[in-house]
Amino acid sequence: MRFSQVLRPKEPGNARGAAVASAVLVVVFVAGAAVWPWSPKRGLGLFFGLLAAALFIFEMAYPFRRPKARPLRTAKAWAQAHVYLGALALLAVLIHAGFRLPKGGLGWALLLLSLWTTASGLIGVWLQKWIPAALAEGLHVEALYERIPALMEKLAGEADALMAGADEVGERFYRTEVRPSLSRPNPSWAFLLDVRASRDRALEPFRRVAEFVDPAQKALIDDLMSIYTEKIELDAHYSLQGILRRWLVFHVPTAGLLMGLLAVHVFAWAWY
Amino acid sequence: MNPRLQVMVPAEAEQLRGLPLFSGIPEKARDKVIEKVRKYIHVVAFSPGDVVLREGEYSDSAYCIVEGAVEIVLSAAGEAARPEVRGGAHVPPPQRAGARPEAEGMVGRGRGTGGTVILSAMPADVVPGQRTILEAGEIFGEIGALSRYPVSATVRAETPLTLLRIRLPGLRMLLAASKEFRKFLDERYRERTLARHLRSVALFEKVDDEFVERVKEKAELLSFEPGQVIVEEGSPADSFYLVRGGYVKVSVRAGSSDLAVTYLRKGDYAGEAALLLDEAWPFTLQALEHVEIVRIGKADFKALSGRYPHLEESLWAEMVARLKLRGAAVRNPVSSEYLQMAMDTGLIHGESVLLIDLSTCTRCDECVRGCADAHGGEPRFIREGQKYRHWLVPTACYQCTDPVCMVDCPTGAITRSVGTLEVTINEPTCIGCGNCAQRCPWNNIIMVERGEKRPDGKPVELATKCDLCLDRPEGPACVQMCPHGSAVRISFKDLERVTATLR
Repeated sequence: MRFSQVLRPKEPGNARGAAVASAVLVVVFVAGAAVWPWSPKRGLGLFFGLLAAALFIFEMAYPFRRPKARPLRTAKAWAQAHVYLGALALLAVLIHAGFRLPKGGLGWALLLLSLWTTASGLIGVWLQKWIPAALAEGLHVEALYERIPALMEKLAGEADALMAGADEVGERFYRTEVRPSLSRPNPSWAFLLDVRASRDRALEPFRRVAEFVDPAQKALIDDLMSIYTEKIELDAHYSLQGILRRWLVFHVPTAGLLMGLLAVHVFAWAWY
Repeated sequence: MNPRLQVMVPAEAEQLRGLPLFSGIPEKARDKVIEKVRKYIHVVAFSPGDVVLREGEYSDSAYCIVEGAVEIVLSAAGEAARPEVRGGAHVPPPQRAGARPEAEGMVGRGRGTGGTVILSAMPADVVPGQRTILEAGEIFGEIGALSRYPVSATVRAETPLTLLRIRLPGLRMLLAASKEFRKFLDERYRERTLARHLRSVALFEKVDDEFVERVKEKAELLSFEPGQVIVEEGSPADSFYLVRGGYVKVSVRAGSSDLAVTYLRKGDYAGEAALLLDEAWPFTLQALEHVEIVRIGKADFKALSGRYPHLEESLWAEMVARLKLRGAAVRNPVSSEYLQMAMDTGLIHGESVLLIDLSTCTRCDECVRGCADAHGGEPRFIREGQKYRHWLVPTACYQCTDPVCMVDCPTGAITRSVGTLEVTINEPTCIGCGNCAQRCPWNNIIMVERGEKRPDGKPVELATKCDLCLDRPEGPACVQMCPHGSAVRISFKDLERVTATLR
């Protein structure tokens, strides 16, 4: 998958709608700021603050889409709303502040958390588009994440049975070069950039050994190479599916913190 | 001996030799045929009142009455309420009682079987609401078994009853070995069923009784073995073919290989080009499995249909649609590839096949969680299965047009309501015999432990399967709860959707 394909929206209509909404918000800001001195505490500045708060509250409702996805009909509609309204929420925050740097500690914390949460969310969107496409296009094997270690154990068992009939050279090669890494996952970040990363290098020893064994043994080495190729593909799945599961660690806790500080911010504004 | 324990015993060769069923086989070959067929024939005993066949279920056997009598009951209410389409077609919401309008977009829009309400060959006129009695020597259930139509009437033991149950492979062997038996069944089909079959096809909906009677006289009944070519592209088009059972591949030549254009199943027809144009066959028709066909010669059909202008209009429309499909297959061989894959793997049997686009699926398992939420915490499918290009076919019920899982359920727990798509298992009635799970060719029915023990200490297991979230007005949860729109449900008969979805 090319980078440009990742940037292409799943629902172009939603992307266009979000772009129009963003443009409207900016135009309102420019017009408002030209007529009145901009203040986050009153008028349009306050409105944008409340808008951002409302959007953040909606964003936090994302987990409640289950089990019926109501009222947005489908989980996909929820996900789309989460992404685009999240981006609009950040814009509303920036407009609320009048595109100026905050003064107090709470203001800085809110701004940085908003930036971090939005950025981590957008990185998540990128990962969710990039990784599935890479897995589907680059690999033959498909596996459930939880079952990958067991599948590797099974592959190791198959390889053990296969190489029981190997000659001394084949047996030594298997025992020293292949078996140690066969039965457990070897996750690697390299798969994120290239799902077939280092495959040629990993398989090169098999090709070399195949040159030194007799023809009957060569078939064994070829079969072993197939098993190892499957294992490498499972490694890629394990690495990339693992990333898809873990990126939320960088998004959800900061979003929770942001909501806490937002509550303090609103309370402080209402109280004082 | 408790008669209930003496449910089924293999038939003895001696017992079979004396039956009229085998009288049509040449004497020299008779013993050999009996020996071959015997393993598919069982003697079954029933007590008065026992149900032999239940209306609406599927059966893979014909029954020959050895001793006693059976009562055939066709429910009057059922007959009146029966919609035009039966056997798993997805009926558009306005036509279907209790349909779920919101769910339409989430379920495959299979065109369905175009009406399969066939009174399978009962050797008597069965009147709704009235009792009909069959006695020793009579055969019933063979059309349902051969053409996979649902059983059209309930059959109960009227007296202590002994039947020969002839399973489908045995029935086919008998048909191949005995011209007399084939002639007998063909005649019965022609007399009792063909008219209803014709009427169930949209093309012949408005024709009068005379037309039907003439077709009954002129039609030729043909059978084809799996893989057999029915007609070859380029050969003279001289007949009209109506499929009465099985699946037929429609393909066109493309270089040294062929491109699948579509497939035909019961109720579908081919040969309209032969009737409208004097051109050669634009397609090859090939049997994908055992296929039963009604053939009407070109001259006969033309003579018969001359009086019905709407018939010709429908044929023109069908021909144009087929030629469009042909063009689409040639222009876009990828959709043809998917169709071929569906034929090779059996997905064409599905009315609503769950597919997951792996190029957008984030493996978040929201589909499985959604399914579990909709079914008391227990998902009805496994996100594992065959992969074809970037599509995964998970282990989930396809809701087959002819659900073989429904054959042999001893309690009738697995059912499909008339006019609906969903094959469901009624848990309180399921006894966990596992027949349905064993019969499902795709292993899409899973036996799940219930945490209880049987008297013999073994765990109680009940059959579970996807029911398309029958109780959810929103439609199947797997599709609705996928945040990336990666889960889809399709019928491969809906080629427009197949082409638009599977790129």
